[in-house]
Amino acid sequence: MSTTKGNEHSILGFLTVRQHPELGYLGGFLLVNSLARPLEFHCTLPVKPTRAQSILYGPTLVDFLCGEQIARTLVSKAKLQPVIVFTDSSAVLSLRNVSEIPVCCVSSKKSETASKELLLPPSQQAGVSVGELSGHKILVDGAHRSDWDFVVKRSQELLQQVDLLEPFTRIVEALQEAHPASKAA
Amino acid sequence: MDSAATASDGSAGSYSELELPPEIGFVDMPFRPSWNIEGFATGWQSQIGRDVKIETTLFQPEKVELSSFAIKIPNQKIHTLSFDFPESPQWQIASQAKPPASNPANPDEPGKGATGSIPQRSSAPSSITRIRPPKDLVKLEDRLYYVLQPPLETLVSNAKLEFAFQPFPYQFEGIAFLFSRETAILADEMGLGKTMQAITTVRMLLLANQLRTVLLVCPKPLVTNWVREFRLWAPEIPVAVIEGDSAKRQWMWNQPGLPVRIANYELLMRDREQLQGNLHFDLVILDEAQRIKNRNSTTSEIARGISRCRSWALTGTPIENTPEDLVSIFEFLQPGYLRDGMSLKQMGQATRDHILRRTKDKVLTEMPPKLFRDAELDLTSEQLATYKAAEDEGVIQLSDMGQELTIQHVFELVLRLKQICNFDPVTGASCKLERLEADLEEVAASGQKAIVFSQWVQSLDRMSDVLKRYNPLSYHGRIPSDKRDPILKEFKENPKRHVLLMSYGAGAVGLNLQFCRYVFLFDRWWNPAIEDQAINRAHRLGAAGSVTVTRMLVAGTIEERIHKVLEEKRELFNALFAEAGTPPSLGLNQGDIFGLFNLKVPKAKKAA
Repeated sequence: MSTTKGNEHSILGFLTVRQHPELGYLGGFLLVNSLARPLEFHCTLPVKPTRAQSILYGPTLVDFLCGEQIARTLVSKAKLQPVIVFTDSSAVLSLRNVSEIPVCCVSSKKSETASKELLLPPSQQAGVSVGELSGHKILVDGAHRSDWDFVVKRSQELLQQVDLLEPFTRIVEALQEAHPASKAA
Repeated sequence: MDSAATASDGSAGSYSELELPPEIGFVDMPFRPSWNIEGFATGWQSQIGRDVKIETTLFQPEKVELSSFAIKIPNQKIHTLSFDFPESPQWQIASQAKPPASNPANPDEPGKGATGSIPQRSSAPSSITRIRPPKDLVKLEDRLYYVLQPPLETLVSNAKLEFAFQPFPYQFEGIAFLFSRETAILADEMGLGKTMQAITTVRMLLLANQLRTVLLVCPKPLVTNWVREFRLWAPEIPVAVIEGDSAKRQWMWNQPGLPVRIANYELLMRDREQLQGNLHFDLVILDEAQRIKNRNSTTSEIARGISRCRSWALTGTPIENTPEDLVSIFEFLQPGYLRDGMSLKQMGQATRDHILRRTKDKVLTEMPPKLFRDAELDLTSEQLATYKAAEDEGVIQLSDMGQELTIQHVFELVLRLKQICNFDPVTGASCKLERLEADLEEVAASGQKAIVFSQWVQSLDRMSDVLKRYNPLSYHGRIPSDKRDPILKEFKENPKRHVLLMSYGAGAVGLNLQFCRYVFLFDRWWNPAIEDQAINRAHRLGAAGSVTVTRMLVAGTIEERIHKVLEEKRELFNALFAEAGTPPSLGLNQGDIFGLFNLKVPKAKKAA
């Protein structure tokens, strides 16, 4: 079977970290091509903060864990380099502090990627709201506003056939497949 | 009396209660209180005057070597799972096919696929159809492959797959169902587009490089229908029909690079050696799969022996007579999955994930209605006399046979009586034909067309003579194959042809005659499923308006008795697909048939 890894200039990353009340944090990272078809998928085993982390990071624990630990690990596992990483959790924006890849948080009023069992973790970092894209509010890390300019510049090319929120639904389902304990009983 | 002093600078002062500094090292330092007490004092005065003994130490940080320890915050190792999904380059290629030639304003030739008479729905469908892995798919990587696919509608639009007509949401669900399954039965009611769903799924699997070779087996009359459907729904896929002499067929079986081959059931027997040789197919589809309901037949055996990865069955009647029909089909899909000893409830539960069945009333609210009109008739005087004599004589004969009575004897009597209900054997009088003539006058006057079904070719021939003024055409088993398509074409295109006389056997499966608004069941079939198939030749996707079905029934005769039994069974037809309940046999069983004449089944027959 002849295959292609896809045009690396049009690879998008969708990364989410979810919190399960018993298991802890689960991260999923999906890379798709410009037709929204999957190329790679990486997910973590359940992650729980250590006692030391809980004490020392205090209110910044969630951002540290989701962005600098889980998200960074997932991005490092990818063989393909995405041009941008979209996330639906503002806690993941701290990934930007440890990664060169632009990161944008897609926010929606009505949570279209909601799952009763896997919740979006609360974040101390609100992110900076920079504008709207495809009808969704976009947040970027405060120190990296240029990420928004990047998205705007490439949106026509990258997002023509991709819905910004739909891939997160797939990731959540994939996490539930990979971790059956995270599904509702 | 309290006084404050700062110990660190050694200034004079006093403490009523001294808190000695902590254990940091001190050097001795003289300390004198600032007040002077003179004279000899006693009691509390002596206490005041007494020198306070304080030991102090000077702390000089620059001379102290501080020690410290670091608390390292270990980060936990985060374990990950990774999966690659190599992308097929064919997805990137937009469809090269030209738009189909069919014009929505002009319906296609008869027997072709969905015609332009389907109301065109605006823009893209609002539903989202996800591809789900089957429950028996265990490997996580395989399950994730399906879970992580975008919605089917997105796949289709992004790959620029063109369709002749916009698929209905339930058809997308059918495609999603087939896409991920190695074994599946698509059991939609006739007329809902099983053909389109199968072809579209094959198209997408070929694009995704999940398939390379497909064999489609269908009844011979439907081969041209399938070729037309492929041309309509997947024009870029080369399709080869296995036909011709032995040498040609052998060449076609072995020709590389043919993604889709179509063969008929009769051919399986003739090319058995080819099929059981080195041939292998990624997918084998059996259309009208009830053809293999007899698992002991050679056709079933050959079909089961074809080397393949995926097995699909398409049938509107997976249970034509008894649930054992379904067991036989599963012997093709997954041998041994269903066992004869299984209870019906167990069978239903086991097959639930492998069968998809939808009915028109559930999924097509925009379909025109199907109107049933039961014509209850009375025999003509000639027919009545003949009928009574035959029935009385026949029942006596059956009763006299005792233990030698077989179901065949009963059948013969039933058939003879039914034939009398159609036509008196001597005079040719027929109450049904009189009614039919009257109805057809109205049909012809309104410019419409009708199909008349009968189980006997002889009855059709008699009708043809009487209905000449409506220019009838006949379509039954005695019509040569090469003449059948032209007959259908003539029926569709010639406005003067108002009636098509069809036998249940020849016309019940696969044909598309959705331009007909009237269906007449001149005599009833044993099994409601076959009648439904016949009716759905007209009431199917593309039907321009409602379809009126007239079921002719002669009161007070064997027909009425059969009708009552079948009505009860019709209500229980879908029980196998319901959550609970035991589905019964769908045709008339032995007890039912003997019961038509109030006869008891001989004991020897029961043991068998």
